[in-house]
Amino acid sequence: MKKVLSAIIAVILCASFCLLAVSCANSGAKKYSIGIVQIVQHEALDAATEGFKKAVTDKLGANNVTFDYQNASGDTANCTTIVNGFVANKVDLIMANATPALQAAYNATRTIPILGTSVTEYGVALGLENFNGTVGSNVSGTSDLAPLDEQAQMILDLFPETKTVGLLYCSAEANSLYQVKVVEEYLAGKGVTAKRYSFSDSNDVSAVTTTAAAESDVIYIPTDNTAAASASIIGSILLNAKKPAIAGEEGICSKCGVATLSISYYDLGYKTGEMAAKILKGEEKIENMAIAYAPTTKKYNKTIADELGVTIPEGYTEIK
Amino acid sequence: MGNFIASMPSAIAQGLIWGIMAIGVYITFRILDIADLTVDGTVCTGAAVCAVLVVSGVNVWLALLIATLAGILAGCVTWFFHTVLGIPAILAGILTQLMLWSINLKIMSGANVAVPSRSYSVLLTQMNVPMALVFLVITAVVIIALLYLFFGTEIGCTIRATGSNGAMSRAQGINTNLTKLIGLALSNGIVALSGAVLCQYQGFADINMGRGAIVTGLASVIIGEAVIRRIGKNFAVKLAGVFVGSIIYWIVYQTVVFFKLDTDLLKMLSALLVAIFLGVPYIKKQLSGRRKGGVVNG
Repeated sequence: MKKVLSAIIAVILCASFCLLAVSCANSGAKKYSIGIVQIVQHEALDAATEGFKKAVTDKLGANNVTFDYQNASGDTANCTTIVNGFVANKVDLIMANATPALQAAYNATRTIPILGTSVTEYGVALGLENFNGTVGSNVSGTSDLAPLDEQAQMILDLFPETKTVGLLYCSAEANSLYQVKVVEEYLAGKGVTAKRYSFSDSNDVSAVTTTAAAESDVIYIPTDNTAAASASIIGSILLNAKKPAIAGEEGICSKCGVATLSISYYDLGYKTGEMAAKILKGEEKIENMAIAYAPTTKKYNKTIADELGVTIPEGYTEIK
Repeated sequence: MGNFIASMPSAIAQGLIWGIMAIGVYITFRILDIADLTVDGTVCTGAAVCAVLVVSGVNVWLALLIATLAGILAGCVTWFFHTVLGIPAILAGILTQLMLWSINLKIMSGANVAVPSRSYSVLLTQMNVPMALVFLVITAVVIIALLYLFFGTEIGCTIRATGSNGAMSRAQGINTNLTKLIGLALSNGIVALSGAVLCQYQGFADINMGRGAIVTGLASVIIGEAVIRRIGKNFAVKLAGVFVGSIIYWIVYQTVVFFKLDTDLLKMLSALLVAIFLGVPYIKKQLSGRRKGGVVNG
């Protein structure tokens, strides 16, 4: 009985293996294959991927390109496995969405072009000294960094009487710390005290936000993934304490902020897709492409601004 | 098909690296019979220390050594919580793991440190998998040999006795506090070593690296035991079995990713994998016990 069972299982395994092998062989004519590795499921990152795919299909034609989209579900070890699969499959281009994905790809191949997106600072992410805007080799991409000095200036423009600013971010995110440092320096240069309030994950958000709201005049939240996920909680606490927040991106602003210097992650992804199309068609070489940025728009959240009684000057668009 | 085979070497390399971590888990879980959850933090500590040192220009072998020492320290902290403060072992491990989160952030001055092989001379890298495999196989053999010799010494045997039956060991005059210290320190030192090796292979150290490491380690130990059981009861074979289990685990992972199965389901698949490997021998035992009509011996 046992032997028959083992034999049946063996046959089923062999059959499924053969079927998979056959389906792989029948992949058809030459198409561009693009591997997309994303670190975690998240609104902004998903929007960047959508924008990327749209741009590539617009420029190359939907029939000429296949996407292999893999999500690491927050596990950095998965990034290594996923990228290894791409390299073994000899994809034509890798799109790495977020810093750990970019790092994993950077360390897996010197030949396959890698375009990063939703990465704030490439020099820091890749350990490059004297980074001058072009990575070189087989890496380029787009950065989601809005000009941080303009963002910090927004705090002072909208709330000129600010004495202390609370910088709220997640300690587990390298990008957030970078933005916080830059904003902190800028504010110090203008004579405003900036204090850091960091939470380690979504469990600490309420406690840390409450303290930050109590001790600061204005809160600043960078493009932080955990803050984005917990934005509603942050919003209720801040409204309760009647404290305004300036957010690093539109998603966070729409739930808890007064205003933001926004970039659209969809547009960022779209720009990355345009770069990808140029590389695949051979119009440009990746080692010469500098890191690109998305255009910024000043946006404000009408509901929260009205609740807190903030007057928004000219030049701001309302978030729908 | 050829591409699938081409993705295997890196999967095997990852299997060997996490196999080193699984050996650390084996020491506490099977030999000492303590469920030590510190490992989630220790993996990242080893990686963080090694990354920061390599980036500062320290010799990479020295960085590996210091990373291992950092892991040993972490093990001592768990021992302190468990033995001196009397906190239950699982909780002691969790407390140390929480502390290590903050400590790792401070070590890295942030959440992430890049150690790209293009800029620093590291011992192994995903860019050159064949060389990495050579390094890892040699490391695995050395670790198995050293541990085999160690657990054959008198101290090694007292550690095994403590895990087997703590009360009897104490009755025989063994200082179980000391043996737990050595066991926890050794285990976490090896786990930190695996973290240091991993950060060199993948080119970065990230605060989120260790999350769920204990599950990977346990899965490797259990799969390895299931596979090696028929081959022999020799201790060295059992240690080798842990590496085999880890390699199988990562080959399955790579297969799931390669055939574009939904990566959202990866965590569920690994849990099911462990459940199957644990459940099938147990059910077999139950069935055979029933046929003989007697009491099933555990």
